[in-house]
Amino acid sequence: MRELIVKVVGNEEIAPGIYEIEFRLPEDINFRCGQFVNLSVGDGGHLLRRPFAILFYDRATHTAGVCYQVKGAGTKLLSEKKDGDELTCVIPLGNGFVLREEEKRVALIGGGVGVFPLLSVLGQYHDSDKHFRCYMGFRNASYVNTFGQFDHRSDALFVATDDGSFGRKGTAVSEFFADFEQAKPDVIFACGPIPMLRALKSGLAERNIHTPCYVSLEERMGCGIGACLVCVCHKANGQANVRVCKDGPVFEIGEVEI
Amino acid sequence: MANLHTQICGVSFSNPVIAASGTFGFGREFNEVYDISVLGGISTKGLTLEARLGNPTPRIAEGHGVILNAVGLQNPGVEKFIADDLPFLRSKGIVVIANVAGKTLEDYAEICRRLDGLVDMIELNISCPNVKCGGMAFGIYPESVEQVTSVAKGAMARTPLIVKLSPNVASIAENAQAAERGGADCISLINTITGMVIDVEKRKPILANVTGGVSGAGIKPIAVRMTYEACKAVKIPVIGMGGITCAEDALEFIIAGAHAVQVGTANFTDTLAMPKIIAGLNDWLDAHGVADIAMLRGTLKIG
Ligand SMILES: Cc1cc2nc3c(=O)[nH]c(=O)nc-3n(C[C@H](O)[C@H](O)[C@H](O)COP(=O)(O)OP(=O)(O)OC[C@H]3O[C@@H](n4cnc5c(N)ncnc54)[C@H](O)[C@@H]3O)c2cc1C
Ligand SMILES: Cc1cc2nc3c(=O)[nH]c(=O)nc-3n(C[C@H](O)[C@H](O)[C@H](O)COP(=O)(O)O)c2cc1C
Ligand code: FES
Repeated sequence: MRELIVKVVGNEEIAPGIYEIEFRLPEDINFRCGQFVNLSVGDGGHLLRRPFAILFYDRATHTAGVCYQVKGAGTKLLSEKKDGDELTCVIPLGNGFVLREEEKRVALIGGGVGVFPLLSVLGQYHDSDKHFRCYMGFRNASYVNTFGQFDHRSDALFVATDDGSFGRKGTAVSEFFADFEQAKPDVIFACGPIPMLRALKSGLAERNIHTPCYVSLEERMGCGIGACLVCVCHKANGQANVRVCKDGPVFEIGEVEI
Repeated sequence: MANLHTQICGVSFSNPVIAASGTFGFGREFNEVYDISVLGGISTKGLTLEARLGNPTPRIAEGHGVILNAVGLQNPGVEKFIADDLPFLRSKGIVVIANVAGKTLEDYAEICRRLDGLVDMIELNISCPNVKCGGMAFGIYPESVEQVTSVAKGAMARTPLIVKLSPNVASIAENAQAAERGGADCISLINTITGMVIDVEKRKPILANVTGGVSGAGIKPIAVRMTYEACKAVKIPVIGMGGITCAEDALEFIIAGAHAVQVGTANFTDTLAMPKIIAGLNDWLDAHGVADIAMLRGTLKIG
């Protein structure tokens, strides 16, 4: 992880309230899918950086991208950044997703902005012998725009919306379980809101499915590098804490309290 | 190159910039970003006798120019610190200050006894506003400040004692004098100022703990004022902190009378904040023809 000054080279609204920002790094980094960046919002009044999943990193141009939803003041400021603007960040952070050699069939389950860390998995294993089936859930049709990139890189893509305005009415998790027998994944990667992750955890338990399952968690952060103990969650036994920024953000689903 | 070397209670700092407790862990993570041996010292995350899990999350919130935290003294316990973290910090050759807290006077005595002679200095956290049953009570009134100080001091034969004052009190000067009477070798201030942020849509506090400690750039004027008051009130050395983000900020505290400074929240905004402050101090002194930072200490001109 490095403290770097990066230069914005693109910042576009790709769906209502959802932007993709691209920035150029002054040097090369080692990036693994599922890692994140802690990015300043470029204003002295906001002392905390904002954590975002890194969508892609292009070694040739030292360019990285992030997709973010405008939520509060910080992401609003970010959405106003123009090409050439400078931001500071620490990058790359966290453990990321790791695919073992024997894990060939991969299920990616994403809800809302949780789909973005999963996109980096597809990017990293683009030209590999891995097969991906993707299950995406969005609030309604207007957010669906973000899944286009999943389409051409996966064997099968299932999209559900809360109100049925696009794809099937339902959730990413309901789509996943409906397809499970067909998919027979060797490993599951998931990221999304807590209710989604809970539904996944209980669904796996009810069906007695023991496929390895890894989830990427979100927590408010201070330092972003593991020093301040702000971003913790409980281990499943309740006897210890793990740091989302350093020990995660990716955890085995049984390892942590969700 | 100006002389940044600073001596406090017989302890020698290569420069007067110290990592503030709770923002820097035990140094390992920041050492992945830069070699922390460039620092003057580090004050550890608040240690207690037993391991603690701390408060529920969210533990952090933001205001304009400030942050609020309610971590609640999560730490591995003093024994694990001594076994796992102290050797690493020692290997860095910087001043190691153990920040300690307790629920009772006996806790303070015991943890000080345990660390006596193992670390360079002990910083008594009597002001942590986050733990419901401990901390706060000792730091509010001069009588209890004096009492906890003398109990901690009495438990140690070798290690100099810093008492870290809370800003959430009636009189900083009186509490500083109370610590001095209790036998403190040094005073540090300020700890965080109790605050609160409300999510208007949900009508709920952002912090799970409801209230938290305010720190960061926005509290600096308060911290400078309190450091100034403490420096006037006591003869023992003072370490100032609160909202320092650059060399000029640090110099405000030194000119107000502080021997050294600590830097906390700025480490979140820029992981290289402290090395930059150290380099900035050197540049400032050189540019102003000041050979030794000690020449600036307490040089405030009033009237
Ligand atoms: C590891 C990780 C990866 C993430 N990846 C993405 C992503 O790819 N795309 C995306 O749109 N969002 C992502 N998020 C969530 C994103 O960080 C928040 O939406 C964002 O910080 C909100 O900032 P704000 O200033 O707009 O909101 P405000 O509410 O004004 O922010 C106030 C403070 O709360 C923090 N905060 C608020 N919501 C969250 C949250 N959900 N998670 C963590 N901190 C929060 C902010 O960082 C800031 O410190 C991720 C979060 C984490 C922890
Ligand atoms: C996340 C966080 C954790 C902290 N933990 C401690 C602690 O354990 N003990 C302590 O004495 N002070 C603690 N503090 C207070 C700082 O050491 C410092 O006094 C305060 O933040 C003011 O300095 P700053 O504005 O430079 O951050 C903590 C502060 C923050 C932001
Ligand atoms: S944000 Fe500081 S430990 Fe995770």
